[in-house]
Amino acid sequence: MSATGERPEGPAVTALTVLAPVAGRAMPLAEVPDPVFSAALVGPGVAVDPPRDKPAIAVSPVAGKIVKLHPHAYVVQTADGAGVLVHLGIDTVQLAGEGFELIAAEGAEVVAGEKIVGWDPAAVEAGGRSPVCPVVALDTSADALSDLRDSGELAAGDPLFTWSR
Amino acid sequence: MSNAEQILAALGGADNIIEIEPCITRLRAEVEDPGLVDEPGLKAAGAHGVIRSGSAIQVVVGPEADTIASDIEDLM
Repeated sequence: MSATGERPEGPAVTALTVLAPVAGRAMPLAEVPDPVFSAALVGPGVAVDPPRDKPAIAVSPVAGKIVKLHPHAYVVQTADGAGVLVHLGIDTVQLAGEGFELIAAEGAEVVAGEKIVGWDPAAVEAGGRSPVCPVVALDTSADALSDLRDSGELAAGDPLFTWSR
Repeated sequence: MSNAEQILAALGGADNIIEIEPCITRLRAEVEDPGLVDEPGLKAAGAHGVIRSGSAIQVVVGPEADTIASDIEDLM
């Protein structure tokens, strides 16, 4: 692992640090096996491929309010309106919540790193779906993101990217 | 027209839709005739993108997908 690089910040720009919601191997969003996420149609970001050895708990990538909570995906929005989408696996909407355990509730205020959903990446994979987790900055463009960690192993709660707002 | 009405029309209307369900950022529709799907119309209604695979149409609308899907179901 290399040391953390420089973090230049312009004046009057807020830098929001977005954390990895799950542990695993970071990868570019473009490599996610889903055309919507890989083309960044909902926004830019990074994906994390979780380990399959044990069930995991997905955490909040930022401090804010859980504005959307499905068993397989959630959006946390900061006080200034930055929404971050976490999607637990690909096509997991088809599981209709099976294998996912909600820990937090929609509408709740959470701190960054707070537990939101328990799930089992190995079970998702055993069902024929990819457990890769896209983490997407909503309603912004790729040039607003910096310090992207899109390779190497991460722990849940490690910085994933910086969002300049 | 509301977003939901515009999207419903661009999917070929209620008669063309076999099933529609929201994921967190997209509407997943199964349609009778994919030829009736009006992609520019979907984009004009606010879709960020449209992914087509035979009769399965995914309309990327962002996190309001569940609200839009229930509005569409109300119209059907």
